[in-house]
Amino acid sequence: MKNKYSFIALIIFLFVGPFLFPNATITEMLIFGIVAISTNIMLGYTGMLSFGQALFFGTSAYISGLMLLGGFPLFLAIPIATLGSFVISLFIGYFCVKREGLYFICLTFAFNQMFYFIAYVWTEVTGGEDGLVGVERPAYIDTQLTFYIFTAVMFLFAVIALYKIVTSPLGLIFKLIRENASRAEAIGYNVRFYKLISFSIASTFTGLAGSLYVLIHSMVPIDQIHWLKSGDIIFMTLFGGVGSFLGPLIGVVGYIWLSDTFSIIWARWPLIMGVIFAIVVLYFRGGVSELLENLFKKYKSISRKTEHEQDIKNTKLN
Amino acid sequence: MTFLIISQILNGLGLGMLYALVGVGLTLILGVLNIPNFAHGVLYALGAYLAFTIANVTGSFYFAMFLSPLLVVLVGFILESQGVRRLYHAHHDYQLLFLFACALIIQEIIIIIWGPIGFSLLAPPSLSGAVDLGFLIYPKYRLVLICFAFFMIVCLYLFLTKTNLGAILRAGIENRDMVKVLGINVNVVFLYTFGLGAYLAGLAGALSAPIMGLTPSMGLDILPICFVVVVVAGLGSIPGAIIAGILIGLSQGAATIWFPEATNVVIYVMMGLTIIFRPQGLFGVR
Repeated sequence: MKNKYSFIALIIFLFVGPFLFPNATITEMLIFGIVAISTNIMLGYTGMLSFGQALFFGTSAYISGLMLLGGFPLFLAIPIATLGSFVISLFIGYFCVKREGLYFICLTFAFNQMFYFIAYVWTEVTGGEDGLVGVERPAYIDTQLTFYIFTAVMFLFAVIALYKIVTSPLGLIFKLIRENASRAEAIGYNVRFYKLISFSIASTFTGLAGSLYVLIHSMVPIDQIHWLKSGDIIFMTLFGGVGSFLGPLIGVVGYIWLSDTFSIIWARWPLIMGVIFAIVVLYFRGGVSELLENLFKKYKSISRKTEHEQDIKNTKLN
Repeated sequence: MTFLIISQILNGLGLGMLYALVGVGLTLILGVLNIPNFAHGVLYALGAYLAFTIANVTGSFYFAMFLSPLLVVLVGFILESQGVRRLYHAHHDYQLLFLFACALIIQEIIIIIWGPIGFSLLAPPSLSGAVDLGFLIYPKYRLVLICFAFFMIVCLYLFLTKTNLGAILRAGIENRDMVKVLGINVNVVFLYTFGLGAYLAGLAGALSAPIMGLTPSMGLDILPICFVVVVVAGLGSIPGAIIAGILIGLSQGAATIWFPEATNVVIYVMMGLTIIFRPQGLFGVR
């Protein structure tokens, strides 16, 4: 039931969103929405913290940008870029899932920076520090409206696909691994294999989002592959709340809206974001979705209490 | 050519000593506190910037080298006691995010105070100039740096192996719960460990200032290197971190001779080779 309501809210958001935010902002929200929801599969459902998701986002953005620059059509560039990040995620994931906890974080983090430096040094292909510029949107999605519809359709496709994964038996296995990995191993599941699957599902969808990202500003800035971006991705996911499927989307909307607002006011806006990060971690660990849920529960219990009191009064009167 | 090679190897050794210092600091914090310290890089940067200001205000380079790491320790104490301490029971996600937030905050504060433009801190006259080693003429400061960093590493080693607190720290890395059971106040141990880690980061930052200069992004750049040191060393191995740091510095020095563009990538090549051939790290146990 709860999921039904949140999906209705999502559809409403897709219709209302373009009127609330500028085109570049709302499309960025949807694109990072894919990133955060897919990262949640790994972070929230499987309980693996990867600090290298910008690697897949950036690499895929570069691949699709380069293909578009090379004259390939968009419907070829997106699948190939996504496939690219799938292959890379299998390769990197193979080494990373061997380790757990802190070591896993260190490894994914270091791989992230490895790809950053490759992009940084390989100037002829990636444009180095200036980023990859001059990518043009195909004519059929060139207006704001068509581009929004295109992004929204891709977003819905990704969300439905991820929802199917989460509700499938595979999703249950992920949860089992999060709750008790040694139990899962004992029952006969190959934990490493499923961790790898979870890692590459998250990374592939992050890659899909990356391949769409090129289209917003017609460029790939190099900081999209920097490790700071990975931190932002983790924050967006946690800020929304890893407890629910669509929770991370709230985090994305909040994060992008806040950073857009603050970056206009003050050049040193990351300072404010840092303070918000710290406050969220210290005081609102469940993220926005849990906060809302708690408020909702409180409201419910208050109204229930008043009902109950009235019942008592009524019985007394009788 | 041989001169070039020797001088690059010495450069690499100097770099490696710095990496070893920061890497050991991170290893201590990772091992004892079991948290990923993403603020380690900015502590390094803070050490360098504080040294720059102190040296300019007081005019004494040596005093700056002495005081700035201690101020960084103070910042480390504040981070640990006000934030990290509340998160020991939380998931790694939240510890990481908190320290990431601290990194952003300190990074931006550095830019607000010192501005976005880089500086250079000159070594004092007694340490500048070059030394004739007979076969090679080499900058004096770099040579002193190598010796001093080596001295610090020896001190650290003696501290960890010969003192009581050092033994507790090593025990904490091995088995944290057992240390608690033995009636040791872990909160104090954690505080000191974080302080020691911060000291090493700040010291390395201050020492690096005359060689590499000061840029606001120096903290963000050193952090991945620290983590690579930890990965190559094996999680929680202090001698491993020292050797891995020096190896990485040396390989960077070597790369400067033959592939100057690849100096930053070679670090990750080292890491890649390590995890392919020895996934637990050079000195890792499991």
